[in-house]
Amino acid sequence: MKRFVALAIGMVALAAMPAFAHKTYSHQKYFQHYEGTKTCLQCHKMQAETFFHSLHYQWEGPAPKIINSHGMKLGKLNTINDFCTNPKANWIGLVRNSRGEVLSKGCSQCHAGFGKMPSETMTKGQLENIDCLICHASGYRRDLYKNPDGSVAWKPILWKNQVGLDSVAKRISLPKRTMCLRCHAGSGGGPNFKRGDLEYTLTDCDSNFDVHMAKNGNDMQCIDCHAGKNHDIPGSGTDIAGDGESTATVACNNEDCHGNAPHEAEILNIHAKRVYCTVCHIPDFAKHDATDMDRDWSKPVYHAKQDKYSPTIKFEKDVKPVYAWYNGTTWEQLPKTPVKFLPDGSVGLMVPQGSRKDPKSKIYAFKLHRATLPVLKGKNWLIPIVVEKFFADGNINKAVVNAAKDFYGIDNAKYKWVRTERWMGVFHEVQPAKNALKCLDCHGPNGRMNWKALGYDGDPMLAMVHKSLKASH
Amino acid sequence: MRKIGKILSFTVASCAMVAFAMPAAAKDKAPTPRQLVKQYCRVCHGPNSPNGEYTPMTFIQDQWTDFFANTYKDAHKGVVDPHHNNKKVLEEITPDMLKKIEKYMVDHAADSEHPMTCG
Repeated sequence: MKRFVALAIGMVALAAMPAFAHKTYSHQKYFQHYEGTKTCLQCHKMQAETFFHSLHYQWEGPAPKIINSHGMKLGKLNTINDFCTNPKANWIGLVRNSRGEVLSKGCSQCHAGFGKMPSETMTKGQLENIDCLICHASGYRRDLYKNPDGSVAWKPILWKNQVGLDSVAKRISLPKRTMCLRCHAGSGGGPNFKRGDLEYTLTDCDSNFDVHMAKNGNDMQCIDCHAGKNHDIPGSGTDIAGDGESTATVACNNEDCHGNAPHEAEILNIHAKRVYCTVCHIPDFAKHDATDMDRDWSKPVYHAKQDKYSPTIKFEKDVKPVYAWYNGTTWEQLPKTPVKFLPDGSVGLMVPQGSRKDPKSKIYAFKLHRATLPVLKGKNWLIPIVVEKFFADGNINKAVVNAAKDFYGIDNAKYKWVRTERWMGVFHEVQPAKNALKCLDCHGPNGRMNWKALGYDGDPMLAMVHKSLKASH
Repeated sequence: MRKIGKILSFTVASCAMVAFAMPAAAKDKAPTPRQLVKQYCRVCHGPNSPNGEYTPMTFIQDQWTDFFANTYKDAHKGVVDPHHNNKKVLEEITPDMLKKIEKYMVDHAADSEHPMTCG
Protein backbone atom coordinates (compact mmCIF):
# COMPACT_ATOMS: atom_id res chain seq x y z
CA MET A 1 0.00 0.00 0.00
CA LYS A 2 2.82 2.36 0.99
CA ARG A 3 4.52 1.64 -2.31
CA PHE A 4 1.28 2.46 -4.18
CA VAL A 5 0.90 5.78 -2.34
CA ALA A 6 4.50 6.69 -3.07
CA LEU A 7 4.01 5.82 -6.74
CA ALA A 8 0.81 7.85 -6.91
CA ILE A 9 2.49 10.86 -5.28
CA GLY A 10 5.37 10.47 -7.70
CA MET A 11 3.01 10.38 -10.68
CA VAL A 12 1.17 13.49 -9.50
CA ALA A 13 4.46 15.31 -8.91
CA LEU A 14 5.68 14.30 -12.37
CA ALA A 15 2.47 15.49 -13.98
CA ALA A 16 2.73 18.81 -12.14
CA MET A 17 6.24 19.42 -13.42
CA PRO A 18 6.55 20.87 -16.91
CA ALA A 19 7.77 18.36 -19.46
CA PHE A 20 10.99 20.29 -20.12
CA ALA A 21 12.02 20.15 -16.46
CA HIS A 22 13.59 16.81 -17.25
CA LYS A 23 15.94 18.26 -19.83
CA THR A 24 19.51 18.36 -18.63
CA TYR A 25 21.80 21.24 -19.36
CA SER A 26 25.51 21.64 -18.59
CA HIS A 27 24.84 23.44 -15.31
CA GLN A 28 21.68 21.57 -14.33
CA LYS A 29 23.15 20.22 -11.12
CA TYR A 30 25.21 23.21 -10.03
CA PHE A 31 22.48 25.55 -8.86
CA GLN A 32 18.74 25.66 -8.51
CA HIS A 33 17.88 29.29 -9.19
CA TYR A 34 19.80 31.92 -11.13
CA GLU A 35 19.90 35.09 -9.05
CA GLY A 36 22.18 37.21 -11.17
CA THR A 37 25.95 37.00 -11.42
CA LYS A 38 26.33 36.20 -7.72
CA THR A 39 25.08 32.71 -8.64
CA CYS A 40 28.00 32.32 -11.09
CA LEU A 41 30.49 33.82 -8.65
CA GLN A 42 29.90 31.03 -6.12
CA CYS A 43 32.11 28.81 -8.32
CA HIS A 44 33.68 31.16 -10.86
CA LYS A 45 35.12 34.09 -8.90
CA MET A 46 38.54 33.62 -10.46
CA GLN A 47 37.08 33.59 -13.98
CA ALA A 48 35.09 36.73 -13.19
CA GLU A 49 38.27 38.43 -12.01
CA THR A 50 40.11 37.60 -15.24
CA PHE A 51 37.13 38.85 -17.22
CA PHE A 52 37.04 42.08 -15.21
CA HIS A 53 40.58 42.85 -16.38
CA SER A 54 39.95 41.82 -19.98
CA LEU A 55 39.53 44.05 -23.01
CA HIS A 56 35.98 42.77 -23.42
CA TYR A 57 35.03 44.27 -20.06
CA GLN A 58 37.37 47.25 -19.73
CA TRP A 59 37.03 48.36 -23.36
CA GLU A 60 40.65 49.51 -23.19
CA GLY A 61 43.91 47.69 -22.76
CA PRO A 62 47.63 47.65 -23.59
CA ALA A 63 48.16 48.72 -27.19
CA PRO A 64 51.56 47.42 -28.31
CA LYS A 65 50.53 47.35 -31.98
CA ILE A 66 49.68 51.07 -32.04
CA ILE A 67 53.01 52.70 -32.82
CA ASN A 68 52.13 56.00 -31.15
CA SER A 69 50.51 54.54 -28.01
CA HIS A 70 53.71 55.09 -25.98
CA GLY A 71 52.64 52.60 -23.33
CA MET A 72 49.12 54.01 -22.91
CA LYS A 73 46.15 51.72 -22.55
CA LEU A 74 43.81 52.32 -25.47
CA GLY A 75 40.39 51.15 -26.51
CA LYS A 76 36.96 52.32 -27.55
CA LEU A 77 36.36 53.91 -24.15
CA ASN A 78 39.19 56.46 -24.38
CA THR A 79 39.57 56.98 -28.13
CA ILE A 80 37.34 58.42 -30.87
CA ASN A 81 36.06 56.34 -33.73
CA ASP A 82 34.25 57.26 -36.90
CA PHE A 83 31.04 55.30 -36.27
CA CYS A 84 29.33 56.34 -33.02
CA THR A 85 32.53 58.11 -31.94
CA ASN A 86 32.82 57.30 -28.20
CA PRO A 87 30.63 55.37 -25.79
CA LYS A 88 31.20 57.37 -22.58
CA ALA A 89 28.53 60.03 -23.14
CA ASN A 90 26.28 57.49 -24.82
CA TRP A 91 26.60 54.68 -22.29
CA ILE A 92 23.04 53.84 -21.23
CA GLY A 93 19.53 55.28 -21.39
CA LEU A 94 16.27 55.10 -23.26
CA VAL A 95 16.13 57.70 -26.02
CA ARG A 96 12.65 58.14 -27.44
CA ASN A 97 11.33 59.93 -30.50
CA SER A 98 8.39 62.34 -30.51
CA ARG A 99 6.02 59.35 -30.74
CA GLY A 100 7.49 57.84 -27.59
CA GLU A 101 9.14 54.97 -29.45
CA VAL A 102 12.53 53.83 -28.23
CA LEU A 103 15.26 54.87 -30.68
CA SER A 104 18.32 53.85 -28.77
CA LYS A 105 19.46 52.27 -25.54
CA GLY A 106 23.11 53.21 -25.44
CA CYS A 107 26.45 51.67 -26.31
CA SER A 108 26.41 49.47 -23.20
CA GLN A 109 23.97 47.29 -25.13
CA CYS A 110 27.11 45.52 -26.32
CA HIS A 111 29.07 45.67 -23.08
CA ALA A 112 29.10 42.40 -21.16
CA GLY A 113 27.84 44.10 -18.04
CA PHE A 114 24.45 45.01 -16.60
CA GLY A 115 24.91 48.73 -17.16
CA LYS A 116 27.62 50.04 -14.86
CA MET A 117 30.59 51.54 -16.64
CA PRO A 118 33.75 49.51 -16.00
CA SER A 119 35.97 50.91 -13.27
CA GLU A 120 39.71 50.55 -12.86
CA THR A 121 39.28 49.12 -9.39
CA MET A 122 37.86 45.66 -9.00
CA THR A 123 34.99 45.63 -6.50
CA LYS A 124 32.24 43.19 -5.57
CA GLY A 125 29.78 45.50 -7.35
CA GLN A 126 31.87 45.46 -10.52
CA LEU A 127 32.19 41.66 -10.47
CA GLU A 128 28.43 41.34 -10.00
CA ASN A 129 27.97 43.75 -12.91
CA ILE A 130 29.53 41.20 -15.28
CA ASP A 131 26.84 39.54 -17.39
CA CYS A 132 28.31 36.04 -17.81
CA LEU A 133 25.25 34.74 -19.62
CA ILE A 134 25.47 37.15 -22.56
CA CYS A 135 28.50 35.21 -23.85
CA HIS A 136 28.00 31.83 -22.22
CA ALA A 137 24.28 30.94 -22.29
CA SER A 138 22.57 30.04 -25.53
CA GLY A 139 19.06 31.41 -25.70
CA TYR A 140 19.81 34.22 -23.24
CA ARG A 141 18.52 37.65 -24.16
CA ARG A 142 18.38 40.89 -22.24
CA ASP A 143 16.81 44.31 -22.50
CA LEU A 144 16.93 47.68 -20.80
CA TYR A 145 14.41 48.09 -17.97
CA LYS A 146 13.63 50.92 -15.58
CA ASN A 147 14.40 50.31 -11.91
CA PRO A 148 11.95 51.54 -9.26
CA ASP A 149 14.29 54.49 -8.55
CA GLY A 150 14.08 55.62 -12.19
CA SER A 151 17.54 54.41 -13.17
CA VAL A 152 17.90 51.85 -15.94
CA ALA A 153 19.76 48.53 -16.12
CA TRP A 154 20.14 45.61 -18.46
CA LYS A 155 18.15 42.61 -17.24
CA PRO A 156 17.35 39.20 -18.71
CA ILE A 157 14.10 39.45 -20.66
CA LEU A 158 12.97 36.53 -18.54
CA TRP A 159 13.48 38.39 -15.26
CA LYS A 160 9.81 37.90 -14.35
CA ASN A 161 9.85 34.21 -15.33
CA GLN A 162 12.16 32.42 -12.91
CA VAL A 163 11.51 28.94 -14.36
CA GLY A 164 12.43 30.08 -17.87
CA LEU A 165 15.41 32.07 -16.62
CA ASP A 166 16.70 29.10 -14.62
CA SER A 167 16.46 26.91 -17.70
CA VAL A 168 18.38 29.37 -19.88
CA ALA A 169 20.98 30.12 -17.18
CA LYS A 170 21.87 26.43 -16.99
CA ARG A 171 22.68 26.16 -20.72
CA ILE A 172 26.28 27.18 -20.21
CA SER A 173 28.92 26.58 -22.87
CA LEU A 174 31.93 28.22 -24.43
CA PRO A 175 30.77 31.07 -26.68
CA LYS A 176 29.30 29.96 -29.99
CA ARG A 177 29.10 31.99 -33.21
CA THR A 178 25.58 33.18 -32.42
CA MET A 179 26.70 34.59 -29.09
CA CYS A 180 29.73 36.47 -30.47
CA LEU A 181 27.81 37.80 -33.46
CA ARG A 182 25.04 39.23 -31.29
CA CYS A 183 27.38 42.15 -30.69
CA HIS A 184 30.09 41.87 -33.30
CA ALA A 185 27.73 41.74 -36.29
CA GLY A 186 25.52 44.57 -35.08
CA SER A 187 28.15 47.11 -34.11
CA GLY A 188 28.01 50.60 -35.58
CA GLY A 189 24.23 50.79 -35.29
CA GLY A 190 22.89 48.00 -37.48
CA PRO A 191 23.53 44.69 -39.22
CA ASN A 192 27.07 44.65 -40.62
CA PHE A 193 27.27 48.46 -40.45
CA LYS A 194 30.75 48.54 -38.96
CA ARG A 195 32.98 45.65 -39.92
CA GLY A 196 31.64 44.65 -43.33
CA ASP A 197 32.96 41.11 -43.02
CA LEU A 198 31.06 40.12 -39.86
CA GLU A 199 27.45 39.47 -40.73
CA TYR A 200 24.61 37.71 -38.92
CA THR A 201 24.52 35.36 -41.92
CA LEU A 202 27.69 33.77 -40.55
CA THR A 203 25.57 32.03 -37.91
CA ASP A 204 24.15 29.82 -40.66
CA CYS A 205 26.00 30.01 -43.96
CA ASP A 206 27.46 27.76 -46.62
CA SER A 207 31.07 27.47 -47.74
CA ASN A 208 30.60 29.98 -50.56
CA PHE A 209 29.88 32.56 -47.89
CA ASP A 210 32.64 31.57 -45.48
CA VAL A 211 34.67 28.42 -45.86
CA HIS A 212 35.60 28.28 -42.18
CA MET A 213 32.22 28.88 -40.57
CA ALA A 214 30.00 27.09 -43.11
CA LYS A 215 27.53 24.89 -41.29
CA ASN A 216 27.76 22.27 -44.02
CA GLY A 217 31.55 22.49 -44.00
CA ASN A 218 34.06 23.21 -41.28
CA ASP A 219 31.45 24.76 -38.98
CA MET A 220 34.19 26.52 -37.02
CA GLN A 221 33.30 28.68 -34.06
CA CYS A 222 34.84 32.14 -33.56
CA ILE A 223 36.86 30.85 -30.62
CA ASP A 224 38.49 28.16 -32.74
CA CYS A 225 40.69 30.94 -34.14
CA HIS A 226 40.21 33.56 -31.42
CA ALA A 227 41.19 31.07 -28.74
CA GLY A 228 42.33 32.79 -25.61
CA LYS A 229 43.09 32.01 -22.00
CA ASN A 230 41.64 33.74 -18.99
CA HIS A 231 39.27 35.80 -21.13
CA ASP A 232 42.18 37.27 -23.05
CA ILE A 233 40.87 36.94 -26.60
CA PRO A 234 43.49 37.30 -29.36
CA GLY A 235 42.87 38.79 -32.78
CA SER A 236 42.61 42.56 -32.88
CA GLY A 237 42.76 42.98 -36.63
CA THR A 238 44.42 46.11 -37.92
CA ASP A 239 42.25 48.80 -36.36
CA ILE A 240 41.34 47.65 -32.85
CA ALA A 241 43.42 49.84 -30.57
CA GLY A 242 43.57 47.76 -27.42
CA ASP A 243 44.95 44.28 -27.11
CA GLY A 244 44.71 41.84 -24.29
CA GLU A 245 47.55 41.18 -21.90
CA SER A 246 49.05 38.59 -24.23
CA THR A 247 50.42 39.56 -27.60
CA ALA A 248 49.05 36.45 -29.33
CA THR A 249 47.88 37.03 -32.88
CA VAL A 250 45.43 35.22 -35.08
CA ALA A 251 46.94 34.41 -38.48
CA CYS A 252 46.00 32.03 -41.29
CA ASN A 253 49.64 31.01 -41.71
CA ASN A 254 50.11 29.81 -38.12
CA GLU A 255 51.76 26.39 -38.32
CA ASP A 256 48.77 24.63 -36.74
CA CYS A 257 46.47 26.14 -39.42
CA HIS A 258 47.67 26.63 -43.00
CA GLY A 259 51.42 27.25 -42.61
CA ASN A 260 53.46 29.40 -44.96
CA ALA A 261 53.26 27.22 -48.07
CA PRO A 262 49.71 25.88 -48.25
CA HIS A 263 49.34 25.75 -52.05
CA GLU A 264 50.23 22.97 -54.47
CA ALA A 265 51.36 25.52 -57.06
CA GLU A 266 54.70 26.99 -56.06
CA ILE A 267 53.92 30.33 -57.72
CA LEU A 268 51.11 30.83 -55.18
CA ASN A 269 53.42 30.01 -52.26
CA ILE A 270 55.89 32.58 -53.61
CA HIS A 271 53.05 35.11 -53.63
CA ALA A 272 52.15 34.15 -50.05
CA LYS A 273 55.52 35.46 -48.88
CA ARG A 274 54.42 39.05 -49.59
CA VAL A 275 50.66 38.76 -50.13
CA TYR A 276 48.46 37.87 -47.15
CA CYS A 277 45.90 35.10 -47.71
CA THR A 278 42.91 37.44 -47.42
CA VAL A 279 43.90 39.32 -50.58
CA CYS A 280 43.03 36.39 -52.85
CA HIS A 281 40.60 34.54 -50.61
CA ILE A 282 38.31 37.50 -49.81
CA PRO A 283 37.52 38.94 -53.26
CA ASP A 284 34.60 40.88 -51.77
CA PHE A 285 32.77 41.38 -48.49
CA ALA A 286 29.37 42.54 -47.22
CA LYS A 287 27.82 39.79 -49.29
CA HIS A 288 24.44 39.77 -47.56
CA ASP A 289 24.00 42.99 -45.57
CA ALA A 290 25.30 46.24 -46.99
CA THR A 291 28.00 47.91 -44.93
CA ASP A 292 28.59 51.54 -43.97
CA MET A 293 31.37 52.92 -46.20
CA ASP A 294 31.01 56.61 -45.48
CA ARG A 295 29.40 58.30 -42.47
CA ASP A 296 29.04 62.07 -42.66
CA TRP A 297 28.09 63.47 -39.25
CA SER A 298 27.96 67.02 -40.61
CA LYS A 299 24.84 66.24 -42.63
CA PRO A 300 21.95 64.99 -40.46
CA VAL A 301 19.16 63.14 -42.24
CA TYR A 302 15.60 62.78 -40.94
CA HIS A 303 13.88 59.41 -41.40
CA ALA A 304 10.14 60.08 -41.24
CA LYS A 305 9.12 56.43 -40.93
CA GLN A 306 11.18 55.96 -37.77
CA ASP A 307 10.92 59.58 -36.64
CA LYS A 308 14.67 59.49 -36.17
CA TYR A 309 17.76 61.42 -37.25
CA SER A 310 20.99 59.85 -38.43
CA PRO A 311 24.18 61.02 -40.08
CA THR A 312 24.31 60.65 -43.86
CA ILE A 313 25.54 57.11 -44.43
CA LYS A 314 26.54 55.53 -47.73
CA PHE A 315 26.08 51.79 -47.74
CA GLU A 316 27.62 49.31 -50.16
CA LYS A 317 27.19 45.60 -50.80
CA ASP A 318 29.61 43.15 -52.40
CA VAL A 319 32.46 45.55 -51.74
CA LYS A 320 35.85 45.02 -53.34
CA PRO A 321 38.56 45.54 -50.68
CA VAL A 322 41.37 48.03 -51.09
CA TYR A 323 44.95 46.91 -50.57
CA ALA A 324 47.91 48.21 -48.57
CA TRP A 325 51.15 47.03 -46.99
CA TYR A 326 50.83 46.09 -43.33
CA ASN A 327 53.57 44.99 -40.95
CA GLY A 328 51.41 44.30 -37.90
CA THR A 329 51.45 47.84 -36.55
CA THR A 330 49.09 50.77 -36.96
CA TRP A 331 49.18 54.53 -36.44
CA GLU A 332 46.15 55.87 -34.61
CA GLN A 333 44.80 59.39 -34.40
CA LEU A 334 44.52 59.83 -30.63
CA PRO A 335 42.41 62.37 -28.73
CA LYS A 336 44.16 65.43 -27.30
CA THR A 337 46.60 65.24 -30.20
CA PRO A 338 46.46 67.56 -33.23
CA VAL A 339 45.04 65.74 -36.21
CA LYS A 340 47.51 64.56 -38.82
CA PHE A 341 46.52 64.84 -42.46
CA LEU A 342 47.35 62.17 -45.02
CA PRO A 343 48.55 63.09 -48.54
CA ASP A 344 44.94 62.87 -49.82
CA GLY A 345 43.87 65.61 -47.39
CA SER A 346 41.92 63.44 -44.97
CA VAL A 347 42.77 62.61 -41.36
CA GLY A 348 43.94 59.04 -40.92
CA LEU A 349 42.20 57.54 -37.88
CA MET A 350 43.76 54.10 -38.22
CA VAL A 351 46.54 53.79 -40.75
CA PRO A 352 48.33 50.49 -41.35
CA GLN A 353 52.11 50.73 -41.27
CA GLY A 354 54.45 49.00 -43.69
CA SER A 355 55.86 49.31 -47.16
CA ARG A 356 57.19 47.33 -50.07
CA LYS A 357 60.69 47.79 -48.71
CA ASP A 358 59.81 46.57 -45.23
CA PRO A 359 60.50 42.79 -45.15
CA LYS A 360 57.95 42.33 -42.35
CA SER A 361 55.15 43.77 -44.49
CA LYS A 362 52.65 41.94 -46.61
CA ILE A 363 49.84 43.26 -48.75
CA TYR A 364 46.53 42.97 -46.86
CA ALA A 365 42.87 43.46 -47.83
CA PHE A 366 41.03 46.36 -46.17
CA LYS A 367 37.67 48.02 -45.90
CA LEU A 368 38.43 51.72 -46.24
CA HIS A 369 35.87 53.56 -44.14
CA ARG A 370 35.51 57.28 -44.64
CA ALA A 371 33.73 59.76 -42.41
CA THR A 372 33.27 63.43 -41.62
CA LEU A 373 34.02 64.28 -37.99
CA PRO A 374 34.32 67.46 -35.92
CA VAL A 375 37.71 68.87 -34.97
CA LEU A 376 38.25 71.50 -32.28
CA LYS A 377 39.39 74.80 -33.80
CA GLY A 378 42.76 75.97 -32.53
CA LYS A 379 43.88 72.77 -30.88
CA ASN A 380 42.91 70.60 -33.85
CA TRP A 381 41.70 67.74 -31.63
CA LEU A 382 39.05 65.29 -32.77
CA ILE A 383 35.77 65.71 -30.89
CA PRO A 384 33.35 62.84 -30.30
CA ILE A 385 29.57 63.30 -30.62
CA VAL A 386 26.75 62.73 -28.11
CA VAL A 387 24.94 60.60 -30.64
CA GLU A 388 22.05 59.28 -28.55
CA LYS A 389 20.22 62.59 -28.12
CA PHE A 390 21.05 63.54 -31.70
CA PHE A 391 19.06 60.52 -32.92
CA ALA A 392 15.96 62.12 -31.38
CA ASP A 393 16.44 65.84 -31.99
CA GLY A 394 18.83 66.00 -34.96
CA ASN A 395 20.72 68.90 -33.37
CA ILE A 396 24.25 68.07 -34.44
CA ASN A 397 25.72 71.34 -33.15
CA LYS A 398 24.46 70.61 -29.63
CA ALA A 399 25.71 67.02 -29.92
CA VAL A 400 29.25 68.18 -30.78
CA VAL A 401 29.39 71.03 -28.23
CA ASN A 402 28.11 68.73 -25.44
CA ALA A 403 30.65 66.08 -26.39
CA ALA A 404 33.52 68.59 -26.24
CA LYS A 405 32.34 69.52 -22.73
CA ASP A 406 31.98 65.86 -21.63
CA PHE A 407 35.21 64.61 -23.17
CA TYR A 408 37.60 67.57 -22.82
CA GLY A 409 35.80 69.87 -20.34
CA ILE A 410 35.71 72.63 -22.97
CA ASP A 411 32.70 75.00 -22.98
CA ASN A 412 31.09 76.32 -26.17
CA ALA A 413 33.57 74.56 -28.40
CA LYS A 414 34.20 75.99 -31.85
CA TYR A 415 34.84 73.31 -34.37
CA LYS A 416 35.23 72.50 -38.07
CA TRP A 417 34.48 69.35 -40.03
CA VAL A 418 37.23 67.16 -41.49
CA ARG A 419 37.19 64.10 -43.71
CA THR A 420 38.69 60.98 -42.12
CA GLU A 421 39.64 57.47 -43.11
CA ARG A 422 40.05 54.23 -41.23
CA TRP A 423 41.72 51.16 -42.73
CA MET A 424 39.93 48.12 -41.39
CA GLY A 425 41.49 44.73 -42.10
CA VAL A 426 39.08 42.27 -43.69
CA PHE A 427 39.50 38.73 -42.35
CA HIS A 428 36.14 36.95 -42.61
CA GLU A 429 33.89 35.70 -45.42
CA VAL A 430 36.90 33.70 -46.62
CA GLN A 431 36.38 31.92 -49.93
CA PRO A 432 37.46 28.40 -50.90
CA ALA A 433 40.16 28.06 -53.60
CA LYS A 434 37.59 27.78 -56.42
CA ASN A 435 36.26 31.29 -55.64
CA ALA A 436 39.60 32.94 -54.91
CA LEU A 437 41.08 35.63 -57.15
CA LYS A 438 42.80 34.45 -60.32
CA CYS A 439 46.06 35.83 -61.78
CA LEU A 440 44.39 38.32 -64.12
CA ASP A 441 42.20 39.76 -61.36
CA CYS A 442 45.33 41.61 -60.24
CA HIS A 443 47.68 41.30 -63.21
CA GLY A 444 45.19 41.81 -66.04
CA PRO A 445 44.46 45.01 -67.96
CA ASN A 446 41.76 46.06 -65.47
CA GLY A 447 43.40 44.53 -62.42
CA ARG A 448 42.21 45.54 -58.99
CA MET A 449 45.62 46.53 -57.56
CA ASN A 450 46.74 50.13 -57.42
CA TRP A 451 50.39 49.31 -58.07
CA LYS A 452 51.62 52.88 -57.71
CA ALA A 453 50.03 53.20 -54.26
CA LEU A 454 51.77 49.97 -53.31
CA GLY A 455 55.19 51.37 -54.29
CA TYR A 456 55.60 49.89 -57.78
CA ASP A 457 56.03 51.72 -61.07
CA GLY A 458 53.43 49.44 -62.59
CA ASP A 459 52.34 45.81 -62.57
CA PRO A 460 55.45 43.96 -61.26
CA MET A 461 54.59 40.91 -63.34
CA LEU A 462 54.76 42.93 -66.55
CA ALA A 463 58.07 44.37 -65.39
CA MET A 464 59.39 40.82 -64.88
CA VAL A 465 58.19 39.74 -68.33
CA HIS A 466 59.90 42.76 -69.94
CA LYS A 467 63.08 42.01 -68.01
CA SER A 468 63.20 38.36 -69.11
CA LEU A 469 62.42 39.31 -72.73
CA LYS A 470 65.28 41.81 -72.68
CA ALA A 471 67.63 39.18 -71.25
CA SER A 472 66.72 36.66 -73.94
CA HIS A 473 67.49 39.11 -76.77
CA MET B 1 -26.97 26.49 -80.70
CA ARG B 2 -24.63 29.42 -81.25
CA LYS B 3 -26.13 31.14 -78.22
CA ILE B 4 -25.61 28.03 -76.07
CA GLY B 5 -22.02 27.89 -77.26
CA LYS B 6 -21.48 31.52 -76.26
CA ILE B 7 -23.02 30.96 -72.84
CA LEU B 8 -20.92 27.83 -72.33
CA SER B 9 -17.65 29.52 -73.25
CA PHE B 10 -18.53 32.51 -71.05
CA THR B 11 -19.27 30.16 -68.14
CA VAL B 12 -16.04 28.20 -68.65
CA ALA B 13 -14.02 31.42 -68.89
CA SER B 14 -15.66 32.84 -65.76
CA CYS B 15 -15.07 29.62 -63.83
CA ALA B 16 -11.46 29.55 -64.95
CA MET B 17 -10.98 33.17 -63.85
CA VAL B 18 -12.55 32.48 -60.49
CA ALA B 19 -10.49 29.29 -60.08
CA PHE B 20 -7.25 31.13 -60.79
CA ALA B 21 -8.18 34.14 -58.72
CA MET B 22 -9.37 32.19 -55.68
CA PRO B 23 -6.06 30.95 -54.25
CA ALA B 24 -4.42 34.35 -54.63
CA ALA B 25 -7.35 36.12 -53.00
CA ALA B 26 -7.53 33.55 -50.22
CA LYS B 27 -3.80 33.90 -49.69
CA ASP B 28 -4.10 37.68 -49.48
CA LYS B 29 -6.86 37.47 -46.92
CA ALA B 30 -5.35 34.81 -44.68
CA PRO B 31 -3.94 36.55 -41.62
CA THR B 32 -0.28 36.02 -40.89
CA PRO B 33 0.64 34.23 -37.66
CA ARG B 34 1.69 37.60 -36.24
CA GLN B 35 -1.70 39.09 -37.09
CA LEU B 36 -3.43 36.10 -35.49
CA VAL B 37 -1.48 36.65 -32.28
CA LYS B 38 -2.37 40.34 -32.31
CA GLN B 39 -6.03 39.76 -33.10
CA TYR B 40 -6.71 36.78 -30.87
CA CYS B 41 -4.13 36.85 -28.06
CA ARG B 42 -2.89 40.37 -27.49
CA VAL B 43 -6.40 41.85 -27.44
CA CYS B 44 -6.94 40.20 -24.06
CA HIS B 45 -3.32 39.87 -22.95
CA GLY B 46 -1.88 43.29 -23.78
CA PRO B 47 0.03 45.64 -21.47
CA ASN B 48 -1.56 46.09 -18.01
CA SER B 49 -4.27 43.57 -18.84
CA PRO B 50 -6.05 42.06 -15.81
CA ASN B 51 -5.63 38.73 -17.62
CA GLY B 52 -1.84 39.13 -17.56
CA GLU B 53 0.38 40.39 -20.35
CA TYR B 54 1.77 37.71 -22.63
CA THR B 55 4.11 38.20 -25.55
CA PRO B 56 6.10 35.50 -27.37
CA MET B 57 9.10 36.31 -25.19
CA THR B 58 7.21 35.90 -21.93
CA PHE B 59 8.18 32.22 -22.01
CA ILE B 60 10.97 30.07 -23.36
CA GLN B 61 10.23 27.68 -26.22
CA ASP B 62 9.74 24.65 -23.96
CA GLN B 63 7.30 26.57 -21.81
CA TRP B 64 5.19 27.53 -24.84
CA THR B 65 5.16 23.95 -26.13
CA ASP B 66 4.16 22.76 -22.69
CA PHE B 67 1.53 25.48 -22.40
CA PHE B 68 -0.22 24.61 -25.66
CA ALA B 69 -0.07 20.88 -24.92
CA ASN B 70 -1.22 20.96 -21.32
CA THR B 71 -2.62 24.30 -20.17
CA TYR B 72 -4.17 26.25 -23.04
CA LYS B 73 -7.53 24.44 -23.07
CA ASP B 74 -8.04 24.46 -19.31
CA ALA B 75 -6.96 28.08 -19.03
CA HIS B 76 -9.50 29.17 -21.66
CA LYS B 77 -12.41 26.87 -20.76
CA GLY B 78 -15.59 28.93 -20.82
CA VAL B 79 -13.71 32.12 -21.67
CA VAL B 80 -15.48 34.35 -24.17
CA ASP B 81 -13.74 36.89 -26.37
CA PRO B 82 -15.43 40.32 -26.23
CA HIS B 83 -13.45 41.38 -29.30
CA HIS B 84 -15.01 38.62 -31.40
CA ASN B 85 -18.73 38.87 -30.63
CA ASN B 86 -18.35 37.16 -27.27
CA LYS B 87 -17.68 33.85 -28.93
CA LYS B 88 -15.97 31.14 -26.94
CA VAL B 89 -12.21 31.35 -27.35
CA LEU B 90 -11.84 27.59 -27.76
CA GLU B 91 -14.33 27.65 -30.66
CA GLU B 92 -13.33 30.96 -32.24
CA ILE B 93 -9.68 29.94 -32.54
CA THR B 94 -9.72 26.95 -34.87
CA PRO B 95 -7.17 24.12 -34.53
CA ASP B 96 -5.43 25.40 -37.67
CA MET B 97 -5.19 28.93 -36.28
CA LEU B 98 -3.96 27.58 -32.97
CA LYS B 99 -1.19 25.66 -34.70
CA LYS B 100 0.00 28.85 -36.39
CA ILE B 101 -0.19 30.79 -33.14
CA GLU B 102 1.78 28.12 -31.30
CA LYS B 103 4.47 28.05 -33.97
CA TYR B 104 4.79 31.83 -33.84
CA MET B 105 5.06 31.84 -30.05
CA VAL B 106 7.73 29.11 -30.11
CA ASP B 107 9.67 30.69 -32.98
CA HIS B 108 9.83 34.03 -31.18
CA ALA B 109 10.10 32.83 -27.58
CA ALA B 110 12.56 34.37 -25.13
CA ASP B 111 15.25 31.80 -25.92
CA SER B 112 14.69 31.78 -29.70
CA GLU B 113 16.97 33.41 -32.23
CA HIS B 114 14.42 36.17 -32.77
CA PRO B 115 12.51 36.99 -29.59
CA MET B 116 9.58 39.31 -30.20
CA THR B 117 7.13 41.34 -28.22
CA CYS B 118 4.61 41.27 -31.08
CA GLY B 119 4.11 45.02 -30.99
